[in-house]
Amino acid sequence: MIDPDISTEAARALLTVPIDPTDRLTLDRRRFLQMLGYGVGAGAMLGGLGEVLSPGALPGGLRDAWAGSPVAPTDGILVLIGQFGGSDGLNTVVPYTNGDYYAQHGALAIPPSHVLPLSGQVGLHPNLPFLKSLYDSGDVAVVQGVGYPNPDLSHFSSMANWMYGKATGSPNTGWIGRWLDGMGGTDLFKAASVGQGLPLHLVGDVARGIAIPQWGDRFAGGSDEHDRWMYDALRGFSATPAGRGPWHDTIATTMKNVIDVGQQIGPVFARDLPDGELTRQLTVVARLINADLGLRVIDTGFGGFDTHADQPAGLGGLLTDFDQALKSFFQTLDDRFRSRVTIMTYSEFGRTSWSNDSSGTDHGTVNNHFVIGKGVRGGLYGAQPSLAGLSRWDRMAHHVDFRSMYASVLDGWMGGGSSTVLGANYPNLGLFETSPGLDVATGGVPPTALGDFVGVTPYRLYDSRVAGGRTIELGPGAIAEVQVTGQGGVPASGITAVAVNVTAVDATQDTSFTVWGTGETRPDVANVVIPPNRAVPNLVIVKVGKGGRINVMNDLGAANCVVDVIGYFRTTTANRLQAVTPSRVLDTRDGSGGRRGPLGPGGSYDVMVRGRAGVPVNANSVVVNVTAVQPTSSSYLTVWPSREARPYASSLNFLQGVTIPNLVIAKIGANGRIAVFNKFGYVHVVMDVVGYFSPTSPGRYVPVAGTRVLDTRSDSKVAPASMVSISVLGIGGVPTSGVSAVALNVGAYQPTSDTFLTAWPNGLTRPLASNLNPARGQDVSNLVIVKVGAQGVVNLYNHTGSVHLAVDLVGYFTG
Amino acid sequence: MEATHVAHLLRRTEYVVRPERLAALSQPSVTRENAVDDILAVTVPVALPAFLDHDIDGQGYDQWVYAVQWWIDRMVDAPRPMLEKMTWFWHGHFCSSWDKVNSAKAMLAQNKLFRDSAFGNFRTLTQTMAVQPAMLFYLDNVDNVKRSPNQNFARELMELFTLGVGNYTEDDVTAAARAWTGHGIDWDTLEYRFWPSQHDIGTKTFMGVTRNWNGPDIINYLLQENTTKKLVACRFLTKKLWEFFAHQQPAQTIIDELAQVLFDSDLAILPWVKAMLMRDEFYSVAAQQGMVRSPVDFVVAVQYHTGLRAADLDPQWYVENMGQVPFDPPNVAGWKTNGYWVNTSLFGARADFARGVTWHLRHDDANSIGDGHTPAETVDIAAAMFGLNLSDATRTALVHFVDVQRANEPWVGWWEATNLLTMTMMTPEFHVA
Repeated sequence: MIDPDISTEAARALLTVPIDPTDRLTLDRRRFLQMLGYGVGAGAMLGGLGEVLSPGALPGGLRDAWAGSPVAPTDGILVLIGQFGGSDGLNTVVPYTNGDYYAQHGALAIPPSHVLPLSGQVGLHPNLPFLKSLYDSGDVAVVQGVGYPNPDLSHFSSMANWMYGKATGSPNTGWIGRWLDGMGGTDLFKAASVGQGLPLHLVGDVARGIAIPQWGDRFAGGSDEHDRWMYDALRGFSATPAGRGPWHDTIATTMKNVIDVGQQIGPVFARDLPDGELTRQLTVVARLINADLGLRVIDTGFGGFDTHADQPAGLGGLLTDFDQALKSFFQTLDDRFRSRVTIMTYSEFGRTSWSNDSSGTDHGTVNNHFVIGKGVRGGLYGAQPSLAGLSRWDRMAHHVDFRSMYASVLDGWMGGGSSTVLGANYPNLGLFETSPGLDVATGGVPPTALGDFVGVTPYRLYDSRVAGGRTIELGPGAIAEVQVTGQGGVPASGITAVAVNVTAVDATQDTSFTVWGTGETRPDVANVVIPPNRAVPNLVIVKVGKGGRINVMNDLGAANCVVDVIGYFRTTTANRLQAVTPSRVLDTRDGSGGRRGPLGPGGSYDVMVRGRAGVPVNANSVVVNVTAVQPTSSSYLTVWPSREARPYASSLNFLQGVTIPNLVIAKIGANGRIAVFNKFGYVHVVMDVVGYFSPTSPGRYVPVAGTRVLDTRSDSKVAPASMVSISVLGIGGVPTSGVSAVALNVGAYQPTSDTFLTAWPNGLTRPLASNLNPARGQDVSNLVIVKVGAQGVVNLYNHTGSVHLAVDLVGYFTG
Repeated sequence: MEATHVAHLLRRTEYVVRPERLAALSQPSVTRENAVDDILAVTVPVALPAFLDHDIDGQGYDQWVYAVQWWIDRMVDAPRPMLEKMTWFWHGHFCSSWDKVNSAKAMLAQNKLFRDSAFGNFRTLTQTMAVQPAMLFYLDNVDNVKRSPNQNFARELMELFTLGVGNYTEDDVTAAARAWTGHGIDWDTLEYRFWPSQHDIGTKTFMGVTRNWNGPDIINYLLQENTTKKLVACRFLTKKLWEFFAHQQPAQTIIDELAQVLFDSDLAILPWVKAMLMRDEFYSVAAQQGMVRSPVDFVVAVQYHTGLRAADLDPQWYVENMGQVPFDPPNVAGWKTNGYWVNTSLFGARADFARGVTWHLRHDDANSIGDGHTPAETVDIAAAMFGLNLSDATRTALVHFVDVQRANEPWVGWWEATNLLTMTMMTPEFHVA
């Protein structure tokens, strides 16, 4: 057998990660520091039970400025309880009729008369009466025989496996962290670990949980006015980047977070806490949930399960603490959250079926775990591991892969997406009988859902031509960092992604812009392909990065850059996308939509969209593909809500004589119309509605890493009057079902003739609409949102001449 | 040598910029090499305090407190603090922890070795370290006997002390563990003792070489005989050194060239460290902006700039919550740098310490730093007290604080000073150094 050379505390500590703004996380075996205090000390006496911390009771009164969005009534909350050291599942869920158990566990075995029976075969350790009562109420799923293939019995690598949650690759992120990645956004309060360090499972590629000091924050919890003046100043360190490098800014932001976390959690620690390590921690966890800070996952745990010796007293005490902790948790938890919380236990491994010479057990493989909550379908799952014929060092074989337990919780309680998070499909054990929030019976949404769309009146976030009072065009490789949150009607927090129109102006040569969330890895995929000396706009939906900012990078030469925000995605408002088959609502060339004749200089027209093209009356915004046709002058179009003040922003920029489309998301005015304005010269305008946002639409937008799904450039061009079909389901992070539409970034290269391209759902008649209008020899790109057609396919049509196409799949809408 | 470069060099090698050191080393006549030589002009050996050179029954905890305070004070006022920086580097490299070893005598003997040999020869240092009681206890070689080999030390010797993972096989670990059998402790004196009867004298095949290996042979083989492994070790150490003193993820050329210096000098440490400090990359923007003060470095800087001693501040209580306890590395891999120290929990602990420091300044002149000064002047005085050149962002926030404070409380009093000084210690400028 392999005897590990480090303790479980060290193992967990090794899996505690640093934050490094200059470095993507890579975990090597020894990388991480022990910063934990598990097992140290005990709390003050007295249970403060049943308290409710209403948001209004929080000090500072600036909750919205820093807290996360409150947890929605139908969002699940997950509480993880680590049992560090490898707990003895056989003495926790006891196979009390199994003779092999009594033979092998020897003096450690729990006598049948002491067991709290769950069935004719298994029962709970006698120190778990409260858990038994929960089981009797149908709130406990006992998952038996949990393990995984080829365990190596080391605390370290076993814990790493459990925290990582994927079967292949090296553990550089954790399963909850990857789930957080999918959630998007910059909320501080999405996931937390109570302790000094941040364990691996709360670390994603981008997102990460926060560490809440387990004794509360002694510095930042004050409410005196002197404190407040000081806290305001400390928060101000990060108001603007200091220009002193990434570490400086990271620390400035961390100081802000120290204050914000301290202020938020102060009340949680203000009252006395009960005794018992886990009891104390779970009481803190319940108070954190009651405070409704937006936390979806809270990690906690306790050590001492590595019972090589004197197991009866050791394990008995720990299970008493566990039982008390559950009791205190549910007594403290506010009724509002009772139907939204699920508790799950984990441990790095189980123990041997044979006891050793020191009244203990050694490192094993298989364990039994608990999933507890009002939504749980109580009962026994999996099967007790067979003990038949095991000799001293034999290990039990598992029945349930632990990742199957994760998948069941992710898909059953946390909104789905287990295959993305876990890197494979694991069987759902069906542990839940309801979805979170008993009174609501909606299905889950993928965890990667960015949430719902809120359209805003377009607002100019950034213009390199007037940045800082002068023109600072973007040179080769230059990055503009654009503050998005808190600007132009975009809230300061709770934002996951924004829809922005990015326009390139006066490029000195062929180039492209890439747009991505600040602090995230720059994607390979350009969003705006730019020919020289032209104004090229493109709609971009992008996750908001660090500090609520996005980056725009220019590739070659120099170009000016303009960024207008037209909407944002968040979870708490109710606007979701319904994609429709493209339908024309305006064509000034033939009078469709009520106007015939081009828009003149300074001219505008209100286009009715409500009740047309499948847009229902409760739609808030429409997604329209707007095309400027044969303009007599270089100019721009602005699309905005009718009857509102026209904003200083452009939806579409064009050059004299060049026909060009852009996808536009426009808020609908109170009169059901959207307005379109032209600045210079005369231009025909064509508008095709491709979707709308409404409270009753099913689609939440889910961004995925850009995956190239078509590239003809190493092959032959797309011929005139022909189409290509693209399968979009089951690739690049897009699920195989439950997808209503996809967002594609389509680039057209080297067209031999002026042409247009149309995207539409497979199986339907090609609509009269255009998504891109490349002129001969000019490369262009555009974001396309298109319903998914039959066989999960979308079609792209090229009208005349031949053209190379490169298509990147950048997101999808559920529904 | 340019003053900003001298200041950077001093922050990295002497914890803080002492004005007198800055003045001396930025003289026009002082070259970079002169400055580096001056910084490296350490004096050894350094005697241990009498209270720490033996174990005292029932006073182990007091000895630990004393040791932490003694060492931190030394970092503040050693004539050449680089000696303590390098001692810490070896402490974090050849880890032993007081928790496990449980002996002031053993831990301080190891500490003395790291200090007295800080700039000696790496191979000699490794050989001596390997058979000191602190290491024999910490990595269980005391339990490594012929009948029941314990691989702990043999494995870490290669994985963490010399080669890095991937440069040896499990068979090498097995063979090395056998070679180290019998190197243990005299249980009466608790000094190193070789027990021939517990030593496996059979032939072992280590790195493809079959002979009757003994423990020290393993070190000599890795760091002398096998020049390929020796160069691997040089690179492994160089990366660690650079990341400890300069910045993360150095270019391969830096590692290769500095490793060659160590290799060519047959593992003499002084020329290797000197070569590092001589490199242009050491003065790059990436280096100047690339390090976060560790908790202990932070405490040392606070002590220096406030004139307070460890006995005043009891840093041993605070550093645990900041994540770094002297003599108690978290595990055999030691401490890492930078992002390791940056999260809300650990920085909250730093702020807690900073506020505690201001209580000790309460009856000091520092209380009235704002008297007769405008808010901006007051902020500049506070910044100067901690040797800081504030960014506009930080300065603006602090000046605004004084404005608000005085708008509410027009008298210039204790609150203004204590909170301003607390914040000055929590500026990013004070932590990226």
